[in-house]
Amino acid sequence: MSGFTFKQANKRYRRLFLPVMILYVALCFAGPGIMAAFNFEPPAWVMAPVAILSGAPIAGVFWLLGRFVKETDEYTRAVQTQALLTGGGITFSLAVIWSFLELYQVVPRSKFFPSMMMVGPAFFFCYGISAYVQHKRSGGSMRDFSGPGREKA
Amino acid sequence: MKTTLRELRSARGWSQGDLADALGVSRQSVNAIETGKYDPSLPLAFRIARLFGKRIEDVFLDDGASDRLAAQ
Repeated sequence: MSGFTFKQANKRYRRLFLPVMILYVALCFAGPGIMAAFNFEPPAWVMAPVAILSGAPIAGVFWLLGRFVKETDEYTRAVQTQALLTGGGITFSLAVIWSFLELYQVVPRSKFFPSMMMVGPAFFFCYGISAYVQHKRSGGSMRDFSGPGREKA
Repeated sequence: MKTTLRELRSARGWSQGDLADALGVSRQSVNAIETGKYDPSLPLAFRIARLFGKRIEDVFLDDGASDRLAAQ
């Protein structure tokens, strides 16, 4: 037992998830704005922190997911762990395979995938699908599907 | 694992959500346990049994127990 009920763990996840995502979107838009503010190419000491800060909320989401998995009930923990592993496995396997295809010039160098900017959304897509499949296998339906933050706390 | 959880819950007039709240777990957990898709840990099985004033073996039925007893 983590000391939290499922509803408490879910509430703690939801309370921070939205602000972190809003911060992420705001920083994604702020970065190009900062670049545009310079009449010349902005120096690395300006853009490096902007780049790092823009990606930092993703680390925050993983920290939130980790805390949720630790605090939630054992069934949800099993479903989420399996979903995270499956989502990560599919995404990173595809990214590595695609990278080798590019390296050996079997496919043209892609502007987007497996760019790390696309790996994130691809991971969260695979993770969500996997969580739903796990839920279905456990006898659940679409109506009562709840990834973290989906069930009313 | 077979379980009498659904019958015990229905006898009290509880919904899956009511039982989930009493146990501090998600409704999906209760559904998965009732349908035999998920076997709870020993601590959760004890909590469930105590909630209904039963022994664990009254709530959860070991599928292979009768076969093993017959073989002995």
